[in-house]
Amino acid sequence: MSERADRRGADWGAAPEPGGIFTKMKERDGAGRMAFVLDGEALSVECAPDRALTAILRETLERTATKLGCGIGRCGACTVLLDGAAVNACLLMAWQVEGRAVTTVEGLAADPGWAPLFDALAEANAFQCGYCAPGIALALAGLFAADPEAGEDAILRALEGHLCRCTGYASILAGALLARDRLRARA
Amino acid sequence: MEVLAPRTLAEAAEMLAAPDTRAIAGGTALQATWAQGAPRPARLVRLDALGLGGLSVADGMLRIGATVTLAGIETSPAVAQAAPLLARAVLDVGAPGVRRLGTLGGQLGWGAGCLLPALLALGARVRTEEQSVPLADWLAAPGRLALGIELPAQDPGPWAWRKVGLRAAFTPAVIAVAGAGGRLAAGGGVVRPQRLHTAEAALAAGAPDADLAVSIEAELEAPDCAFRSAAYRRRVAARALLAGLRGIAPAAAAAAPTPRPPAGTAPAGLRPLVRDTGRPDWHPRADMPAKIAGRAGYLTDARAPGMLVGRILRAGRPHARIVELDTSAAETMDGVRAVVTARDVPGENAFGIMWQDQPALCGEVVRYEGDPVAAVAAVDAGTAEAALAAIRVVWQDLPVIDDPEAALEEGAPALHSKGNLAGEVRLDRGDMEAGWAAAVHVVEDTYVTPRQMHAFLETEGGWCAPTDQGVEVHVGGQHGARDREQLARILALPETAIRVVTSPIGGGFGGKDELTVQPALALLALKARAPVRLHLSRAESVLAGVKRNPMRIRMRTGCDAEGRLVAQEVAALADSGAYASLSPAVLETAMEHACGPYRVPNVASHGRLAYTNNGAGGAFRGFGANQMTFAIECQMDRLAARAGLDPAEIRRRNLRVPGTPGYLGHRVAGSERLAEMLEAAASDPLWQRAGAAGTGVGMALNLQGNGLGSLPRDEAAAALRLAPDGAVEVLCGLDEMGQGLVPALQASVAAHLGCDRGDVRPVSGDTGAAPDSGSTSASRGAFVAWQAAARCAPGFAAEVLARAAARTGMPAEALRIVPGGVGEAARNAPEPLLRFADLAGALPEADLPHAATRFAFPKTEYTRGNARFIHCFGATLARVEVDPVDGTVRVTDLTMHTAAGPVIDLAAYLGQIEGGLVQGLGLTLTEDVAMRGARVVTANLDTYMVPTIRDVPRRLRVTALEGLDRDDPWGPRGVGELGIGAVTAAVANAVAAATGFWPAVAPVRPGAMLETREAAE
Ligand code: FES
Ligand code: FES
Repeated sequence: MSERADRRGADWGAAPEPGGIFTKMKERDGAGRMAFVLDGEALSVECAPDRALTAILRETLERTATKLGCGIGRCGACTVLLDGAAVNACLLMAWQVEGRAVTTVEGLAADPGWAPLFDALAEANAFQCGYCAPGIALALAGLFAADPEAGEDAILRALEGHLCRCTGYASILAGALLARDRLRARA
Repeated sequence: MEVLAPRTLAEAAEMLAAPDTRAIAGGTALQATWAQGAPRPARLVRLDALGLGGLSVADGMLRIGATVTLAGIETSPAVAQAAPLLARAVLDVGAPGVRRLGTLGGQLGWGAGCLLPALLALGARVRTEEQSVPLADWLAAPGRLALGIELPAQDPGPWAWRKVGLRAAFTPAVIAVAGAGGRLAAGGGVVRPQRLHTAEAALAAGAPDADLAVSIEAELEAPDCAFRSAAYRRRVAARALLAGLRGIAPAAAAAAPTPRPPAGTAPAGLRPLVRDTGRPDWHPRADMPAKIAGRAGYLTDARAPGMLVGRILRAGRPHARIVELDTSAAETMDGVRAVVTARDVPGENAFGIMWQDQPALCGEVVRYEGDPVAAVAAVDAGTAEAALAAIRVVWQDLPVIDDPEAALEEGAPALHSKGNLAGEVRLDRGDMEAGWAAAVHVVEDTYVTPRQMHAFLETEGGWCAPTDQGVEVHVGGQHGARDREQLARILALPETAIRVVTSPIGGGFGGKDELTVQPALALLALKARAPVRLHLSRAESVLAGVKRNPMRIRMRTGCDAEGRLVAQEVAALADSGAYASLSPAVLETAMEHACGPYRVPNVASHGRLAYTNNGAGGAFRGFGANQMTFAIECQMDRLAARAGLDPAEIRRRNLRVPGTPGYLGHRVAGSERLAEMLEAAASDPLWQRAGAAGTGVGMALNLQGNGLGSLPRDEAAAALRLAPDGAVEVLCGLDEMGQGLVPALQASVAAHLGCDRGDVRPVSGDTGAAPDSGSTSASRGAFVAWQAAARCAPGFAAEVLARAAARTGMPAEALRIVPGGVGEAARNAPEPLLRFADLAGALPEADLPHAATRFAFPKTEYTRGNARFIHCFGATLARVEVDPVDGTVRVTDLTMHTAAGPVIDLAAYLGQIEGGLVQGLGLTLTEDVAMRGARVVTANLDTYMVPTIRDVPRRLRVTALEGLDRDDPWGPRGVGELGIGAVTAAVANAVAAATGFWPAVAPVRPGAMLETREAAE
């Protein structure tokens, strides 16, 4: 494989310095190294600065928990948390991720604090094929972290960028409301 | 590409002066242009370290820096206070995830953002390093880097904002308008952002509404696009501004009051299906936790050391001869491991479920844009893409057929050797002349249905690897055994040398029934002697994948004075696209529904299917039935209106009677529940919510056959066995696509054995592990799952009990299967006497209980055409609001009553109906793959409008009538296609109730709604 990833020590988390890494390090064809924190782990990846985070995750790092549905920011399947805020990974270029913390559904699922979210969505049979599920779980995590009391309207708005082709959404809304109540009860 | 990070504005200006250089902040707007084909620049200049992220109110001015995100504007209390119009408008830009990245600067720099009209109306000025200029001037000549905007923070008085798009949320703008402080502006999407100065003057002069509207329409510069006309944009702009500024809700069109059914009583046993996680019949799906956590193991997610990446070269042109195909440069590239073309196909270079007219790789001619010409496998995606680009093809373009009518004209160039008529179905009966003579009321229209895309969220793909004997193919599919049969023909391998794994899948809906990428992937893996993976990009999937066959259905229907149908004439023309796939069967199914569930003595029906260069058509949930149901169910309402009957009454007078032959004259199974569905609809409380201006309620009935029909082979094999670890394995070759095969198998086996659902482990979607159970299509899964369990359970249970008897020393008759294992028949102990795991562990593998079955899907004897034998039934009701400003139809309520026998699994059943309803809603209101000259216009999910969570009705209700006839031997029916069946007709009838106008074209065009409204006004 011509794309490589390796793990770095603890020198992560620095804010992007002006004149950032891609202007300084020019390896083959404008490629550079991008350091970021993925699900709590510091990583450094060799890639072009405009490589999409979805490609870094699914191709370079071969971590496929993050899904790919459109590649242009229109379906929400690729959603990750960037420093805690839900964004479309397919719209994030490597240079935008430099020095930042990315949480994928793997990281979220490993955090016991979010277990009520996963359990509620599963109990409600929120999904069918499940391909939209990781992205929606992350969007809901982002929403409930910011607004634990989010009502139905806020949930609908938070999910308006997430296409689900299977369910008709009623089950997702039901799962989201159950998750909110469970998270609130636990808080 | 290089990304530069200037420290100062001066540095930034210097960097930006270089050629092929763009400023970038969030990057969403710029990437949108890349997605549409704009080249990526050589250099990007980051603006994020220049201190342009401020948002403040001072000296009566609101100042927003260029790198402030749209989410920052959305959540800013200062903006809410100082510019409520802006705070409102920003909610209509993108979706939350996009707004967290996208910036104000992106809206400015892109020049087409839908926030711009709002900023223009607010009198915003753009700050550059030198000066501050009015936004309009800056947009006209965007020379200087925009550092931000400023606008007066005073209350501008009443303001107006409206963005009209293609769906309810996250939509490209058709037009956005804003008005504030006497300023009027419009823009968004293809409409250049612009102030409407003449109209402003008219507004200031207090011009009457009509004059102001004329002025706005005259002044607004707006082009046509593939989706909406210029005239529609102008009209909507005027209506929206008037409504917003002068509070004029244009008077609702007075629809002729439509009779509604008198209040009645619902059939006994009809039960609402509710999502209540606390109820005992609500079972969380076994496959759900892994899916949510991203561990489901979709076939496109497979990664392994040494796995190559495949890419396919598509024709990219609708019809052409391949004069020369030169892959030599690609073959010698570093990192390329295999290149395959038609020359590499060892067997028959053709596939197709019904007949084999589609090349695995095109060698001579391409017939649609998505036709595959070559494929490469390389060490990574970048190398594979570079190799594709190095393949040289010399084309000779051929005449393009982009219209099915033209395809069937005399002298049209033939796309296939047998001509362009891909299928034809005729059925005539009775005496048409006498029928028309008896008709008192006659209605006629041509119903048009769209090229709907499956839009499964996981696109086509998976991986293949060579094996000692042949190849294993792990690609999302809907019938592994048939994929294997087709691949064996192409690869010239015995079927036994091929293993096909087809699931889990991220959605199918019929779109993965035919082969997709399997031939190319298998050829690559065999040639490279290495595993190869491939996952189509959405754009490639849109181009290559099959779509719902568009249909034009001319229908003329007559009834007598009492509303009894006397004559029906149907002429349907369907677009097959470049190949047959299952399209001929789709046409047959459509024609099988030409009279819906009604008795008509005199019928003339004729269906034709034409080859064109318009992509590739094929199977899609509903399979033609929903298209025809749209037509017939609208005809019924139109006749009801003519005859002065309510919609339920006219149906009552014409409904099929159980026990009579089906439409083709064929024998059909019992347990018919049409009358019950009709009464459920007639008594539905939704009718009470009809009546307010601009709203309406409509209904439609449907029936959906299960199984492939009387002509094709339709069988299933399955088995039950006790696995060495104690799991009760049910081996069934169907596929879990999301529809709920896993819960259906678990529930069916548990019901027949008496064990727990959790004891049951489905083994499916793998020709190497499960027998051929037929295709996962045609609503046949529920029947197959139930019958598999019913047939295997007695033999399996007997073996289990016999082995348990030997272990426990109790007679087998004194034992029974209980949750977890074997218990005493006479006692209700909480724990089994002998756990499955202990029993299995004590037995040599050869002695493990096992039972297998093979059965035919129930069929009718009729073979002069393809006919279905068992059916499920439904009634759909919709309540709509037709927007007075833009003509958009919004469905506020959708109810479906269903009758399909016992509900095997509540959540799966409900999910199938709801999902089908909403997919049908998409077909009805927003979805169509637009093509121009046989080229796809809607290239991705940015313009192909799948309903979002905000497009669906807030009130979605489903009921089930579960009973079957006493002697019914068939059990539960499948409901995978029932939900989508009648939505379009129900919505169209509701629209007619609201407006007096029956939309005959789906998706419903808001422009047409507006025209009827204006005619009424
Ligand atoms: S894949 Fe990123 S939004 Fe669709
Ligand atoms: S469950 Fe299939 S896309 Fe949402």
